[in-house]
Amino acid sequence: MVSAATRDARTGVPFTAHHPLGTSTGHLVELRGQWDLLVRRALDVSTLAVEIAALSEPEFVTLCDWLGDAGRGLPFRFVSVHAPTKQLAMPEDELVGRLAALPAAIDAVVVHPDVLQDPARFRPLGRLVVLENMDFRKGDGRTAAELEPYFDALPDAGFCLDVPHAGSIDPTMGVAHDLLDAFGDRLRHVHLSSVDGDCHHVPLTPGDEEAFGPVLSRCRDVPWILEADLPRR
Amino acid sequence: MTDTPQGALDELATHARRGFPQLLAARDRTERDLDDLRRRLRDGPCDPGSSVVMMGSWGRRERTNGSDDDYLVLVDGERPGEGAPPVEPQVPRLETLLGRGEAKPGTQGIFGQQVFVGPMVRHIGLEEDGNANLTQRMLLLLESVPVVGREAYRRSLEQVVDGYLAGEAKDYRPPRFLLNDLIRYWRTICVDFAGKARADDQKWGMRNAKLRLNRKLLFAGGLIPVLHCHLHLRDEQRAFLLDALQAPPTDRLAHAFLRHDAIDEGVRALGAYDRWLGMLDDPESRAHLTGLTREAAADDAVFRDVRRLAQEFERGLIALLFETGLSPLAREFVLF
Repeated sequence: MVSAATRDARTGVPFTAHHPLGTSTGHLVELRGQWDLLVRRALDVSTLAVEIAALSEPEFVTLCDWLGDAGRGLPFRFVSVHAPTKQLAMPEDELVGRLAALPAAIDAVVVHPDVLQDPARFRPLGRLVVLENMDFRKGDGRTAAELEPYFDALPDAGFCLDVPHAGSIDPTMGVAHDLLDAFGDRLRHVHLSSVDGDCHHVPLTPGDEEAFGPVLSRCRDVPWILEADLPRR
Repeated sequence: MTDTPQGALDELATHARRGFPQLLAARDRTERDLDDLRRRLRDGPCDPGSSVVMMGSWGRRERTNGSDDDYLVLVDGERPGEGAPPVEPQVPRLETLLGRGEAKPGTQGIFGQQVFVGPMVRHIGLEEDGNANLTQRMLLLLESVPVVGREAYRRSLEQVVDGYLAGEAKDYRPPRFLLNDLIRYWRTICVDFAGKARADDQKWGMRNAKLRLNRKLLFAGGLIPVLHCHLHLRDEQRAFLLDALQAPPTDRLAHAFLRHDAIDEGVRALGAYDRWLGMLDDPESRAHLTGLTREAAADDAVFRDVRRLAQEFERGLIALLFETGLSPLAREFVLF
């Protein structure tokens, strides 16, 4: 039986029935870098949406090579690539060039604003680039006010609402609603999970499902990407 | 929330940070051009049973640079029998005002001609309901606006609606006959697109883009009011449909997003459509898409933008149909 907490307050639809729902490969740490296997695991969750996460620069380089061969054959209807946030060594212009050269099948490239040296360098990516809101540990990019300058620099950029990141700053979810009020017309997809005390992504808890409901009911048209395993209930 | 969709796009735009600048500019442009056409055609004689009806981007109030002049001369009654004298067009100067140069009406024998309302209504389904008859009837319902003979046009529209509802409508049920024909029309467009692409790859990029966006808008803009008939008694459905179908399809969709408390989703869906209209209005993008083959589209940056906008638009429509109060109706009536 589905608990009341797993239902959208306005429609009575369980979150797991959302369309399209997909997974990020980022939490499948045991398979890191094995792109064929990661995509196979993602297909077990959904054949419709996926986020392929290359969280470090060395991973990203191998992903670019892999996508060059496999990109067109991906069956998903929505594919995002999470740009690297760690071990960044290549010049930012080169990173932008590599992102621009990703196959046309890639619908969005998620970037963390706090690691951008010069956001304007990403402008040539146009609507491909999607800015994600940050969690409470980061020094920037957490709230609407902090994200505003990034969107000013990237007027065509989309927005990825990381729901638990917003919740880590304001458990009442007021920050999440502010972000949607400010950038909702740019919303391209949602990151969904719970986070632990260190802000690591963990499966969605019943309490968070309850708390996130009103926010998610404003995001019914975009892919929801799970950043942890589906809750076992 | 009123029951009429007229003006709903303006209302939804107030919830959008950037508004819908392209849609609203195209709407203003269409209204100006319609006024101009009406003024130029006002003085000529016109058969009281005839009307000149603009379709396509005119009917959707979406005129941009490069829009075609898709029009029909609608004539009340039956086609004259063989040997009878031809019915005169009765609308002077029409061909000198419409369809000049690049704006010539579509080339598949649908537009730019005289059409009789009788057969359009009498032949719904079966052999005699050919592609032209189906298309003309559907476009009259879904995206038409009169420039001459407003009364005759209204009567034609009423006859078509009656052709679907008479003896078929039920209290608090979407009219199945109309719903099925609407779905048939949409699927026919999709199948014909693929058939056409196999036969001729020319203009593939533009055709595909329009299928993903303009044609989908047209279908969804008809589907919503037909489903909303479930709110009405049988005797109310005719007036409800006639009112709804007189509003541009973007008003019908905006109204549904507002009515079903899906404002965020509506802002994004129509925002994506708005950006597409901006591309259509840009001669460079338009020429690029027109020259794009299917093979080249796979790696084309402009087409990637189109595909992305189309996905955003479609996801908004899917959310409206399957994640709001419309969901039970979509599940009950749209598939089977």
